[in-house]
Amino acid sequence: MIERNFKIWRGNSKGGDFVNYKISIDEGMVVLDALKLIQADQANDLGLRWNCKAGKCGSCSMEINGKPKLACMDRVTDYKEDSQITVRPVKTFPVIKDLVTDLSWNYEQNKRIPPFKPKPRENGAKYRMQQEDVDRVQEFRKCIECYLCQNVCHILRDQEKKNKFVGPRFMIRLASLEMHPLDTEDRIPAIKNEYGSGYCNITKCCTEVCPESIKITDNGIIPIKERVVDRFYDPVLKLFRVFSGSKK
Amino acid sequence: MIHKFDVVIVGAGGAGLRAAVEIPKEYSCAVISKVFPTRSHTGTAQGGVCAALSNEEDDSWLNHAFDTVKGSDYLGDQDAIEIMCQDAPRAIIELEHMGMPFSRTPEGKIAQRKFGGHTKPENPNDPNSKRIPVKRACYSADRTGHVMLQTLYETCIKNQVNFFSEYFLTDLIIEDNTCKGVTALDIATSDIHVFHAKCVMFATGGYGRVYRITSNAHVGTGDGCALAYQAGLPLEDMEFYQFHPTGLWRLGILVSEAARGEGGILRNNKNEPIMEVYAPIVKDLAPRDMVSRAIISEIRAGRGILGSDGTYYINLDLTHLGKEVIDEKIPEITGFARTYLGVEPTKESVPIQPTAHYAMGGIPTNYDTEVLADHKGNTVKGFYAAGECACVSVHGANRLGTNSLLDLVVFGRRGGKKIAEFLKTADYTDFDSDPKERANSTLARLLNQAGNEKTSAIRRELQENMMEKCGIFRNEADLKQMKSIIKQLKQKYNNITVQDKGKVFNTDLLETIELANLLDIAEAINDSALNRTESRGAHDREDFPARDDKNWMKHTFIRKSSDGEETKIAYKKVVKTRFEPMERKY
Ligand SMILES: Cc1cc2nc3c(=O)[nH]c(=O)nc-3n(C[C@H](O)[C@H](O)[C@H](O)COP(=O)(O)OP(=O)(O)OC[C@H]3O[C@@H](n4cnc5c(N)ncnc54)[C@H](O)[C@@H]3O)c2cc1C
Ligand code: SF4
Ligand code: SF4
Ligand code: FES
Repeated sequence: MIERNFKIWRGNSKGGDFVNYKISIDEGMVVLDALKLIQADQANDLGLRWNCKAGKCGSCSMEINGKPKLACMDRVTDYKEDSQITVRPVKTFPVIKDLVTDLSWNYEQNKRIPPFKPKPRENGAKYRMQQEDVDRVQEFRKCIECYLCQNVCHILRDQEKKNKFVGPRFMIRLASLEMHPLDTEDRIPAIKNEYGSGYCNITKCCTEVCPESIKITDNGIIPIKERVVDRFYDPVLKLFRVFSGSKK
Repeated sequence: MIHKFDVVIVGAGGAGLRAAVEIPKEYSCAVISKVFPTRSHTGTAQGGVCAALSNEEDDSWLNHAFDTVKGSDYLGDQDAIEIMCQDAPRAIIELEHMGMPFSRTPEGKIAQRKFGGHTKPENPNDPNSKRIPVKRACYSADRTGHVMLQTLYETCIKNQVNFFSEYFLTDLIIEDNTCKGVTALDIATSDIHVFHAKCVMFATGGYGRVYRITSNAHVGTGDGCALAYQAGLPLEDMEFYQFHPTGLWRLGILVSEAARGEGGILRNNKNEPIMEVYAPIVKDLAPRDMVSRAIISEIRAGRGILGSDGTYYINLDLTHLGKEVIDEKIPEITGFARTYLGVEPTKESVPIQPTAHYAMGGIPTNYDTEVLADHKGNTVKGFYAAGECACVSVHGANRLGTNSLLDLVVFGRRGGKKIAEFLKTADYTDFDSDPKERANSTLARLLNQAGNEKTSAIRRELQENMMEKCGIFRNEADLKQMKSIIKQLKQKYNNITVQDKGKVFNTDLLETIELANLLDIAEAINDSALNRTESRGAHDREDFPARDDKNWMKHTFIRKSSDGEETKIAYKKVVKTRFEPMERKY
């Protein structure tokens, strides 16, 4: 048993502050375990979302020592023994209570995206698709909607732009539809005009925090921007190509 | 607040969403879920969903049905099993058409792989010839359930289904054998919402949380089953609960069957491969119930490995597979073992123990998902159930891997169709008593009761005892003791003080309600198990080790007695079409 100090943000939509807690932890505990322990013994009213405790459901996103993470995949013993662990809710979305934030904006974005529209099947025959064409779609499908990428994207942190750019999560959602071998819908004009692909300046912060290691920028956003360029023009992508020396 | 919807579906996992997709646009449809739909448990299923597509080799739905019947230890209803297996290929193609990206074969067809218990006769012309494994499981990398859930969710969005996310079901309103709606609590505000409906479907998932070691997520508390039971309806075959042999030690997180599929070996404290003794032919690939029993037997015989907290485990040895296979074929296991146990699977064995995984039992339905009011087959008007919370019964005494995801989409759709038919003539029925008042008074009672008990402590006591006394091995003495423990815990429950009196995201209150549900589920499991004096599938009675087809080819229907103090049990005959019971040997 080792004693550990936690500093947890407590509050609601009107405001709040950090509160200190001290607990003994077992070897192998993750931050979520520690929070649940604090909730059971010291703060029954600690607001917290979790479900799978296995990094699969995307419920337990928060900022731990300033880094956006899933609390259930973050070992307490990975932090220095004498250090304090600071936990706060994700910053980009409004707080409901303590570590729980209002994510509904994200679900609204999803609704704006034109759904999958498959090409008709030829008289009932089964579709044929190559694995290499399905690979990309499967990669984007790994997304667990933890919204950590949405949380770090500086465009979304700026409230003004929130209604102009759908954010990295939905850029890869769009990419998964656009790259689906069977899909026939054309979303390219909307990607530029409504979903704001031009706002992304390829900082790749989103890719860095993705717990599913989805290459959000390289495999999703950049190819989508390229499709936009093929039809329109995207100054950011042009600059990016000049500086990174990437071809095509 | 009062809402009116033609149909209200509770549960946004695979079953609930598939049903919602099927509701025609002219009817209003609400889906209620205590978590955001895509965080439902269906999202954690990795292995696959099976159908006799014959994409990789010859197969037939009859082979699939044979395996399912045999896997169920002959307790599954064969008419329902035939429907499911026959409909499976269509269901898979339909998912593909919705945009689900299945993994492909080199010719571009949907790829299929082998999975425990799925076989075909070696000689296609002789159904009685030796059975060999067949590639029947379709998959989307190692994310089948997750991808299926997302695909169904997006199809619901397209169909403009109304979602009530983070709404917690508090009451099922049935009056005069007619279902009239539900009440639910908005978790963000604690407001009670009444959903007045022409009909209701429950798709609330399983109840693994009744056991301490479980692969089920936090939400798996069996709320739907418990509410039906509290409403006086029967629950079917509750004694059949599947333990998956390989859960991470102490945590229960699932180590997929693929680990043994790739060649992982279970070893005891002498480093002996244990399955050589228990299943000499198929060894580590024996069915789940058998491997789970083998592990517990080894531990009981003193051949387990003692862990730091005084409990025992068995080792899953993957070291001989090499880093490449481990990193490429079963990458997740490495992640889990490293994160949660600090173990490096390429160099050391992974400590495992059986983990509570899947509820074969649940709310009894016919194969059109209409809920049964009794063992005679009468139905409750306007009430449907599908998915893990329901018992059709296609899984009987033991479910085969990959058959659950199939169950969700086949019966979810059938339920949706049946509801659409019902809605053509159905109307709203007035409530006899005010549902809002009832829900609010229950909440007020919980918030005002005071005593020294704590929700988390009672839950832990329940879970630990269920694990020990009503888990993999059972006997009369243990089950009787468990019965009185449950009674005591129910008493203690009335002395719980809910510490958090707030209205916003009051998880303390929600967990207390869930605990009441878990206690009822435990009671139903335990009493059903006590009554069944035979061993079949997942139900293993040490005092009655043999399967007894003469007396026990029947489903348990358990319900609360009218005063709620005792339980009453009746039985319903298993439906047989073409498969004669045989010994279940692998
Ligand atoms: C780790 C794991 C791996 C698995 N792998 C496979 C596999 O490879 N193949 C396979 O076929 N099967 C697999 N299974 C089994 C399968 O995943 C489940 O049986 C299935 O997903 C259950 O789906 P469902 O739709 O019935 O319910 P769930 O997906 O569990 O959804 C239940 C829904 O009900 C809602 N709900 C519950 N209670 C309430 C309440 N009180 N108020 C409001 N809403 C409520 C929840 O919010 C949720 O939306 C696996 C299971 C586990 C645990
Ligand atoms: S790469 Fe684009 S989407 Fe990702 S964080 Fe940067 S600006 Fe946002
Ligand atoms: S893309 Fe990655 S970081 Fe973003 S929501 Fe999905 S899983 Fe989370
Ligand atoms: S609890 Fe599911 S991702 Fe952390």
